[in-house]
Amino acid sequence: MDKPNQNEFKPKIVGFLCNWCTYAAADLAGSSKMEIDSALTVIRVMCSSRVDPNLILTIYFNGADGILIAGCHPGDCHYGKGNYFTRRRYAQMKQVFETLNLDPGRLQLSWISAAEGNRYAEVVNAFTEKITALGPNPINQSSLF
Amino acid sequence: MKKKVGIYICQCGPNIADNVDIDKIIESVSAFNDADDLEIVAKPYGLLCSGEGKDYLKQEIEENGLTHLVIGACSPRDHNNTFIGVCKETSLNPYLYKLINIREHCAWIIHDKDKATEKAIQYIRGGLRRVLYQSELFENKLDTNPDVLVIGGGIAGIEAALSLADADRQVFLIEKTDRLGGKAATFKTVLPKQQDAVEAIQLKIQTVQDHPHIQVMLNTRLDRIIGFLGNFEAEVRSIDDAEKMTELKIGAMVVASGFSLYDASTHPDFIFSGDDEVYTALQIEQMIAEKNQVTTRSGKAPKSVAMIHCVGREEVGYCSQICCNAMIKLAARFKTQSPDTTVKVFFRDLCLPHQDDQAFYNEIKAQGVEFVRVNRIATEGSQIKFTTMDENEGSELFDMVVLAPAMIPADGTPDLATKLGISLHETGFFQEAHQAINPVATATDGIFIVGTAHGPRGIQATLLQAQAAASKIRVQLIPGEQIVPEVRVSETLEAFCMGCKTCLEVCHYGAIVFDEDKGISVVKEAVCRGCGNCVGSCPSGAIQLKHFTNPQLYQEMIEAVQ
Ligand SMILES: Cc1cc2nc3c(=O)[nH]c(=O)nc-3n(C[C@H](O)[C@H](O)[C@H](O)COP(=O)(O)OP(=O)(O)OC[C@H]3O[C@@H](n4cnc5c(N)ncnc54)[C@H](O)[C@@H]3O)c2cc1C
Ligand code: SF4
Ligand code: SF4
Ligand code: SF4
Ligand code: FES
Repeated sequence: MDKPNQNEFKPKIVGFLCNWCTYAAADLAGSSKMEIDSALTVIRVMCSSRVDPNLILTIYFNGADGILIAGCHPGDCHYGKGNYFTRRRYAQMKQVFETLNLDPGRLQLSWISAAEGNRYAEVVNAFTEKITALGPNPINQSSLF
Repeated sequence: MKKKVGIYICQCGPNIADNVDIDKIIESVSAFNDADDLEIVAKPYGLLCSGEGKDYLKQEIEENGLTHLVIGACSPRDHNNTFIGVCKETSLNPYLYKLINIREHCAWIIHDKDKATEKAIQYIRGGLRRVLYQSELFENKLDTNPDVLVIGGGIAGIEAALSLADADRQVFLIEKTDRLGGKAATFKTVLPKQQDAVEAIQLKIQTVQDHPHIQVMLNTRLDRIIGFLGNFEAEVRSIDDAEKMTELKIGAMVVASGFSLYDASTHPDFIFSGDDEVYTALQIEQMIAEKNQVTTRSGKAPKSVAMIHCVGREEVGYCSQICCNAMIKLAARFKTQSPDTTVKVFFRDLCLPHQDDQAFYNEIKAQGVEFVRVNRIATEGSQIKFTTMDENEGSELFDMVVLAPAMIPADGTPDLATKLGISLHETGFFQEAHQAINPVATATDGIFIVGTAHGPRGIQATLLQAQAAASKIRVQLIPGEQIVPEVRVSETLEAFCMGCKTCLEVCHYGAIVFDEDKGISVVKEAVCRGCGNCVGSCPSGAIQLKHFTNPQLYQEMIEAVQ
């Protein structure tokens, strides 16, 4: 695999957005024509709790530079308490990343409500900046893969 | 079999066309044509959601014999259902179609047209990969039962029953005591404005009893329920005669089990026994209803009355909203009974939420009712000790003490919640589906909560909720109409499930049951809402959420990291 040039590094970020809050926030950001970095690819899931650890590891090992999970604010999950489980699984995933000596900073969980189009744009742009500063996922550079 | 995928890119007027190069998308995805097993038909169109657009799609699906469909357009929150509807009118299974949002996720937010086009191509490729991994799903139509079980014969249950029965629904109303009406039936007058309510409430009770569509079952409790929206079976049992069990088939339930009062005698600051002249506001209401006057235990009219607000408010942790007003109503009653009665109201905070409350309060004050704001208050029999807000201490003896204990959930609420499989709020009242946007529904489709079973409130708010729940049921269950349960639901894979029951714990809807014989978990499809939480919880990857499977999401994701 080609080693990406650090200078023109353009991160590849996967964002899991729950249908009821954050996906709606992305719609609002869209209809407000906010400028958002193109690094993020949105994957729509019905609830943030659908994002199982399997998916996160799979996409990380396939080279995602950053992974964003975003859903309704605690207490607002369309399915009652789904996002509380998301929060727990996220904490576990952070630990798994540390154990495997991967950078847990490449993983982010955010709560963004349907009304927070602004915040959606801010979160995505800030996360993109952060990942750009971190540089490419080492998997992409490693000769092991 | 050769797959033939149609990819249609919507211009959305100028919305998409101006900001992404649609021709380039078409060109790029057409390159996937593979002589052996994949044919791509890729075309632009003006407005796909318009009447002509939908007809065009139908025609394209049929004429080209499409096996899969990808649409590049707007947010699925806008038009996913539109295009599912289109597919349903063709031979294409709607779950072999995928809407890709290149408007909100590309055209509108990536302000550089080349970059937006590049991103749109990536998204469409992801959609193409995904759709090839999707499976046909078949919607199942189920007959429904439009009848309703109402639990609790207070004003909440009565109103719900009437609103449904007047719309020709058969209603079963179970009440655990031997009479209808609940607490409100005992009130001589009701707020706001002290209207006389006895007749109006009695009339409602009579109407319920005589209604051809309402079957009232007194001294009856719920034993168990099984089923789901449109198809519940309930077993109800007579409290007097445990042998007498009735099985009811219904489509929905309204929980109207009401409230109880905080037991003031358990509070360390309120020391009294049954012989003391200490009463709850509710007991005074009952006394007025029974003999139209308030007297002490020795039968004399009290010359001095202390009224103490917010008993137990700190302990329960919330304001009961209605008690201040109810107390002011009784204070007025004491003054009417005998204008020279000394009435002192001890309060810390006053809650006067209704638009008429302030005027009523001013009027009562003008009639000589004294309001004393206290920081701390304690009683020993009818001897009151208090500290005012400016730290002055006082002690006074009264002929009668009236307490306003906090409203708490009705006795037996936790048991009822377990039987119904619905949750309780941290205060112990029934929990609604969503506090702000879905306040009378519960997490279980077909079960509604109304009145004080849901939290402290007055009669007016109670009736509004009962009417709201009744109309929700009338809309959700239409006689003779079948319902189509969600098909994008979870399923367990028998070979992988190790029977750990983790998924049973996480499902908010109780949609997963354990098959003891096989030692595995099974999803009740009609109950599952398709959130996918159980998938994330299963340690052995034994659960799959249809239409959002790992392989499907993988196809979408992988394109993002190419
Ligand atoms: C002192 C006082 C004064 C008030 N004054 C006013 C006023 O002036 N104006 C006003 O608007 N509001 C007033 N309120 C509030 C009013 O009482 C309530 O809003 C109203 O009674 C609520 O009706 P409900 O049907 O929800 O509950 P309830 O009246 O408690 O009725 C519940 C019914 O359900 C039955 N039940 C309970 N559990 C079960 C079960 N498991 N199975 C079967 N049946 C069951 C009970 O026996 C009861 O009949 C006052 C409240 C108090 C305490
Ligand atoms: S289908 Fe969506 S993208 Fe196309 S015209 Fe309608 S709103 Fe616009
Ligand atoms: S969590 Fe998975 S393994 Fe455990 S019971 Fe449920 S389906 Fe079976
Ligand atoms: S998808 Fe959600 S509702 Fe369905 S069984 Fe799983 S946790 Fe329950
Ligand atoms: S639906 Fe948004 S987090 Fe569950």
